[in-house]
Amino acid sequence: MRSAGVLSVCLATLALAACGGGSSSGSGATAPGTSRLVVGYDREPDTLNRFSTHILEDIESCVVEGLVTTNEKMEIVPLLAASVPTLENGGVVLRKDGGMDVTWRLRPEVKWHDGTPHTSADVKFTVEAINSPAYNPESTDGFDRITSVDTPDPLTAVLHYQEVYAPYALQFVRGTLPRHVLDGRDIDTANDYNRAPLGTGAYKVAEWKSGEYIRLEAAPNYWRGAQFPAIKTLLFTFIPNTNTRINQLKSGEVDMVVMFPWDKYREVAAIPGVAVYKIDGNGYEHVTLNQRAFPAFGDMRVRQALTHAIDRSLISTTILEGLAPVTHGPVQPVSWAHNPKVRHYAFDPARAAALLDEAGWHDSNGDGVRDKDGQRFSFTLITQAGFAVRENVAQVLQRQFKDVGVAAAVQLHDGTSISKLWFEGKFHAMLHWWQLPADPELALFFAKDRMPPAGRNINYVSDDALTTLVYAADRTVSQAERTRILGEAQARIADLAIEIPLYGVTKLDAVPARLKGFTGNPTNTGPFWNVHAWTLE
Amino acid sequence: MDARVGALGRLTARRAVEAVPLLLIVSGIAFGLLQLVPGGPIEVYLSNPGVRPEDLERLRRALGLDRPLWEQYVSWLAAFVRGDWGFSFSDGRPVLARIVERLPASLELLGASLVLALAAALPAGIIAAVKRRTSTDRAISALAAVGVSIPAFWLGLMLQLVFAVGLGWLPSAGRGADGDGLARLQYLVMPAAVLAFVHAAAWTRYLRASMIEVLKSPFVAAAGARGLDARTRITRHALPNALAPVATVVLLDAALMVPGAVVTESVFAWPGVGSLFTEALGRRDYTVLMAMLMVSSVAVVAFNLLADLIHAWLDPRVAS
Repeated sequence: MRSAGVLSVCLATLALAACGGGSSSGSGATAPGTSRLVVGYDREPDTLNRFSTHILEDIESCVVEGLVTTNEKMEIVPLLAASVPTLENGGVVLRKDGGMDVTWRLRPEVKWHDGTPHTSADVKFTVEAINSPAYNPESTDGFDRITSVDTPDPLTAVLHYQEVYAPYALQFVRGTLPRHVLDGRDIDTANDYNRAPLGTGAYKVAEWKSGEYIRLEAAPNYWRGAQFPAIKTLLFTFIPNTNTRINQLKSGEVDMVVMFPWDKYREVAAIPGVAVYKIDGNGYEHVTLNQRAFPAFGDMRVRQALTHAIDRSLISTTILEGLAPVTHGPVQPVSWAHNPKVRHYAFDPARAAALLDEAGWHDSNGDGVRDKDGQRFSFTLITQAGFAVRENVAQVLQRQFKDVGVAAAVQLHDGTSISKLWFEGKFHAMLHWWQLPADPELALFFAKDRMPPAGRNINYVSDDALTTLVYAADRTVSQAERTRILGEAQARIADLAIEIPLYGVTKLDAVPARLKGFTGNPTNTGPFWNVHAWTLE
Repeated sequence: MDARVGALGRLTARRAVEAVPLLLIVSGIAFGLLQLVPGGPIEVYLSNPGVRPEDLERLRRALGLDRPLWEQYVSWLAAFVRGDWGFSFSDGRPVLARIVERLPASLELLGASLVLALAAALPAGIIAAVKRRTSTDRAISALAAVGVSIPAFWLGLMLQLVFAVGLGWLPSAGRGADGDGLARLQYLVMPAAVLAFVHAAAWTRYLRASMIEVLKSPFVAAAGARGLDARTRITRHALPNALAPVATVVLLDAALMVPGAVVTESVFAWPGVGSLFTEALGRRDYTVLMAMLMVSSVAVVAFNLLADLIHAWLDPRVAS
């Protein structure tokens, strides 16, 4: 027994030595004031340059503001722009040559954090930098269709697009690059900017300690007025382990955890002083049916049967504890383009069996699995490892497919591996979600010429009518007309049962109950979109 | 004594020469294995629908991934041996800087857990061996078995629940965003304890086995016959002999502890080399991964040599 004692004495000694000086420590529990908010964040950003990062821009959006942002209702609202250009207000003009001109008018009072005015020259510089072969941003989407930018005055930028680009309003949602800092430099290696970008936002980067945290401090002379932001310090601490993040929420070391997993809902909701915000996201969990790799999915009756075979409301009410609503297509109710009248497939195993019979799939040898022309209806269902909820849902799907005589084998893969698999089309079926941008972009996912590598059509669906519709929507600027066309496209997607939509992706954010002004956000704009207006009581 | 120093010098020189082809082979295997892991640095961009095929192609060219594999390897190797470790694929910063900035946290954790683990394992192993087959021995062995089999992440989370969430004595994770040196020390307690417990358990078992073996040797009995008391027999005669093989295990574990504390670092959000490795693996950051694998290999070779030198010092028969 003596040596067990030795070990515990050693540990206790170290603990006491450490605790002795610990009263002044910086653990969040001892600093509950109203001027600091500690956010437990699941990963460290690669860069704070919003155009270069391939990770969510939560931290960036506190520092670098877009010309517009998207609010909690997914509406595009002006931020550094005085208004959002539209056909109606004359900000968008369709040219006879098939191109379009977009005029952005900027807010006059906005200055970069160093005091330099934010002007149309920055807008022009941003377009030119992103289109320059010398810089490698994450995406050049939209920018590459801009042929030139005119700056008639410091607050007006006129963009000339070579063709109609429907999501033009979101072109600068990631902000602008400061010309006076980056002109003539190699932006990829400009780490002074990439690690502490000059912005116009409510906060500036005070410190980035690699592997530990990023500390943002209130920017002096914020353009909305000196009263903003009320919370002077935002500390993002990097805590990759979900259990640890939630333990820190419990111990009061972190105040806030954004987008935590559904299976932690009860545990987090029970923490005193913590409020959980639920907001319907603009993403949907579904089963992709790869028609190329598994030809049986090419038969519409088979796809409809598989959709009828799944009891989605059972999944929603049990595994998901009612947190995620059943969905019927790729465009969610939060979007202006949502069509609620598409075909719904009720849970109906008898109908599923009848459709499979009709398609020629029968269990001829009595082994419980249907077959046709000597081939068993047996496929693999891949999904990402590490998501407890998703792994459970995959098992339910497997069970319910089995009930109609279809064998699905579940395979788990890590995030990067699964990206490679779907990008190369090397899977039969996949359980996953797409997180869509605020502007519905269906062509990328459903046009027949957008199979990888040209796009994300990984159902490998090839339907002429649908392809015509989704491209027509991309070439239309009027929102009313786009709504009509996208509505038809959604109806077509549902009629053909191209994929099995399961449920909408609800976002769960845990924040201090005394935090006011927080709304959450359905898109990848993220919950920090209105951080300037937050207060702690 | 001079002959012994000379022998150790020759051993060091021979090992250094042998290490060169070994490290070359390791680098080739590591490079090949990374290619076999499905998904690469480009795939991490795929989750964003705005990233189009032309973007992927552009990024692939920018990272040099469009070149044949052998060419990628040769150019990496040529630069690496010249000390140019390249730039991280994920954040564009120099690889060397990314690793070096994580070293203080790793060395702090390594140092603290080594001290703790040795402080526990040395007395525990000796006592268990001396009091073999008594209840003391059985208690130590049972505790060691628990330590060897307990998963580090589970132990870490339990400690958090008890000492951070329940009692509020210690911070649950991180390394402290502010506060002075002593205040920051409390962040070290739990990760060091977890790492120490797991290693102490294994080392206790090694030392116990080694001591039992040595205590049976005729020279220990001879020391007893010469009238030396039990304490001297154990500490002066048996222990140095028993420690030699244990030192090898401890040093090899220590070499691997820097990059290998992956689980502990992840649970406690400890900003060391292990968490950098996890992050780099998730993003398939090849340049960072290759550099870390090479540093680890060099560390294993070096610590192996150090272990042999200590072994030889403790036991002159090995040197000759």
